[in-house]
Amino acid sequence: MDFFQLTTEPIDIRKVTRLIVPSECGATVTLDGYVRQFTKGRVTLHLIYEAYEPMALKEMQKLVTQAHELFEISVIGIVHRLGKLEIGETSVVISVAAPHRTAAFAACEWLIRELKRTVPIWKKEVYADGEVWVEGESEPPAA
Amino acid sequence: MMKVQVLFFGATAGEVNEREIKIQFAQETTAKQAFDKIVEKFPRLKNHSLLFAVNQEYLIGDEVLHDGDELAIFTAVSGG
Repeated sequence: MDFFQLTTEPIDIRKVTRLIVPSECGATVTLDGYVRQFTKGRVTLHLIYEAYEPMALKEMQKLVTQAHELFEISVIGIVHRLGKLEIGETSVVISVAAPHRTAAFAACEWLIRELKRTVPIWKKEVYADGEVWVEGESEPPAA
Repeated sequence: MMKVQVLFFGATAGEVNEREIKIQFAQETTAKQAFDKIVEKFPRLKNHSLLFAVNQEYLIGDEVLHDGDELAIFTAVSGG
């Protein structure tokens, strides 16, 4: 069964991965996205994530539905953390199980790219000398 | 008379200093007209590239608002 959640608790990545191991599958690809200390040369102390929760869940549902249309995959699990996160803590886990790994890798990459574009969640980077809400992609687009 | 709720998040909540307001319209109003009016009321929002949603869906066009609709104004998303 697909699932997608928002949580303020630490994410147990192994639990997410283990929830999606159907018998027809041969590979699970899991993204563990976590809080980076250095962004564009600035030192981040911690992050605060906020969501428009009901809309975020609706958008996550759309991504899960579209991913099944686009890729030969069996099960998807997505968990996004909210609230205050320390450096190195997991902010998002996307796990995709598929009969073959190629589709699982492609779907996982597509899901994180679309999540960062459409799901209404925002991060505030807190520095020693200030804080800023990140607007849009914080990383350069993939080549 | 029509009353809608407007939600702000992250950077827009900071600019407006509110997370939620209620707005009344005397006559039929499209989503776009309503958002234009709200941005005029809070000009600091113009410092940002904004996204709009009506009833938890990204704004598509000139739909007419209904009493009790939930509007939201926020900046480009940055989850992940």
